[in-house]
Amino acid sequence: MLKRIFPTLGRVRFAVQIFMLFVTVYGGALLGSYTVNRISQSLPALSCAYDKMTGDHCILIVNQHLLHHRVGEVLVKAQEVTLKVFIPVAISVGVFFMFFFFLNKMFCGWVCPLGTVQELLYRLGRRLGRPLNRFKPENVGRVRPVKWLMLLLLVLALPVMAGMGVVSNELGDPFCQVCPSRIATTLLTADSEQIAVRTSTTVNFALGALGNAMFGFIIIAALAARQPFCRICPMLSWNALFQKLSPMRLVKKDAHDKCEKCGVCEKACPMDIHEIGTQFGKKAFHEDCTLCGRCAEYCPDDDVIQIKFFGFKLFGSSRDHYKLRVKMESPEGQPKGKVFWLAPAKVEK
Amino acid sequence: MKKFGIWIVLPFLLLIGQSAQAAGKTAQSYEVEKKGGHDHAAMMQGMGKTAAWTLYPTLKARMSGENRETMKTAIVPQNIVAANIDAWSNNLKDENAYRQLPMDMGGAMLDKPTNGGFHWLSAREDQGDTVRIASIVQSFNERGAKDPTAMFMRQKHELEIIPQPYPREHARYRANEDWKFLVRFNGQPLSGQKVFLESSNGSMAEFVSDAQGVVKVHVPDDFKAEEEKPAAGSHNHGMRRTADLVLATEYADGGKTYLTAFNSSYGQNAFDQRNLAMGLGFTLLGMLGAAPLLRKRKTEQKSKEADNA
Repeated sequence: MLKRIFPTLGRVRFAVQIFMLFVTVYGGALLGSYTVNRISQSLPALSCAYDKMTGDHCILIVNQHLLHHRVGEVLVKAQEVTLKVFIPVAISVGVFFMFFFFLNKMFCGWVCPLGTVQELLYRLGRRLGRPLNRFKPENVGRVRPVKWLMLLLLVLALPVMAGMGVVSNELGDPFCQVCPSRIATTLLTADSEQIAVRTSTTVNFALGALGNAMFGFIIIAALAARQPFCRICPMLSWNALFQKLSPMRLVKKDAHDKCEKCGVCEKACPMDIHEIGTQFGKKAFHEDCTLCGRCAEYCPDDDVIQIKFFGFKLFGSSRDHYKLRVKMESPEGQPKGKVFWLAPAKVEK
Repeated sequence: MKKFGIWIVLPFLLLIGQSAQAAGKTAQSYEVEKKGGHDHAAMMQGMGKTAAWTLYPTLKARMSGENRETMKTAIVPQNIVAANIDAWSNNLKDENAYRQLPMDMGGAMLDKPTNGGFHWLSAREDQGDTVRIASIVQSFNERGAKDPTAMFMRQKHELEIIPQPYPREHARYRANEDWKFLVRFNGQPLSGQKVFLESSNGSMAEFVSDAQGVVKVHVPDDFKAEEEKPAAGSHNHGMRRTADLVLATEYADGGKTYLTAFNSSYGQNAFDQRNLAMGLGFTLLGMLGAAPLLRKRKTEQKSKEADNA
């Protein structure tokens, strides 16, 4: 029965995503108001601290606050920079890494509430017959650096500069002010405060206007493009920094002659990582990969693409899984006919 | 989609220029800025031992110390005479789960505990047939702090007003919000009990507890528009202006009269200095920007038509 409910990795991931959407958006309401202080406060996903019901906080808000209040303030006061300044930063990164170590970038592909919302919107777009806009190999490279700029500028540089007094204090947590997850998750709790633009100062207003416009863009774009915000998300680049330090990996065979003509995995990748089809070995695990596992699900050959943990195969591509997957949904995410709540009994074997 | 990245980065670069100009501050002006913004010690200055805005007993927390690691909090009783402050930590298994903090001229000193978290602080005045109690919650936000619910619910006095729940980290009581409190006597909920609210902005209100002893308190939206607003550019976690409120209730039993009060600060209405219409407008603008992506391309349509044919 379990196999009929969860016949594919995609179905397992979808169930995890929905569960984590409830934990990250409504966790405080479900598990107790004070849960937010007790899990990690450094989650490697966009679980928003502005959401009054969230079960945990995202690492990025912690980073911005620590850089703003600890590092920036101490630097400008020209006091002795002691370990006490950096210990809280090290603790928050350490706690983050304790989570990240086990799941790696699965936090993006399986846990992040904004990732789930975008995927749900994309599914809606398929049902509404909207087109799929993809980045071609020749232009995807133009977007990829933006996530690093977002990390350097909004998560690292501006909070430190705000702490030093170089820029105004409103730029102490600039990423949070433009993050679509802040608006999306608070709206999911019927809280309209965050979609209301702050008007107290010009900088607040500008950040708010930019954040709202980006949120609006993402909501509509997600109907016709896969994971539009994920591509520029600083959490993607932050997680990419630690990607090689986790035993959870995407692994592709060093060489496989059929890959050149196939390319189904490229079509299945929601992040338009064309390298998954053209590269082999370690290079196939790209910095933009969110470990969603779709490439492995849609690879028609046995064990060419695998998700491994400490070298043990958790999931590997197979002909049978491929056949089942394409019966339910095309590699691009177009559903085939009606929704399967239970896999057909005949494909259970 | 080609210029997607450029349009994302460009506004931020413009914003930095705007911000630096708006801030107009250097390291020299840092201290001034701090007092207008995030200096907790400065925020607590100027409080006397008599709360002029209410006759109910209250406690005032004054933070002191520049270093966050050694920051101390002085608990000052107002409108109540007490020899010490009773302090309960949220870690009930800790050896410091309950402490009596001695009073000196500056109040009772509560040092930042290693386990952080929430503390319940009470002052008690027992005079013949009258018992008066003042309580507050003091929070030291620390990662991994224990859930304070059990500590809040532990019986500490005969008559109690207990937040259900208390605002967690990054939250606070704010004007125009409803918050629940449990009123109980000797651990038993009191139904139909009157609870009075007074605020330092001059509001007064009365609430009555339900059958479960729970009273829903509406925080008054009573900040005056003409009051001075924080300096532009100040950082105060979005808390903006604050005021104090006290909830109090009285109950007679066994020839004694008990009065208990719970006080806290509260902030402005969530939508103060926010504009919902503009927020929706900018969201709509972003949506319009993405609308072309929803259009089907002619080539795509043609290929579908060809497939159908």
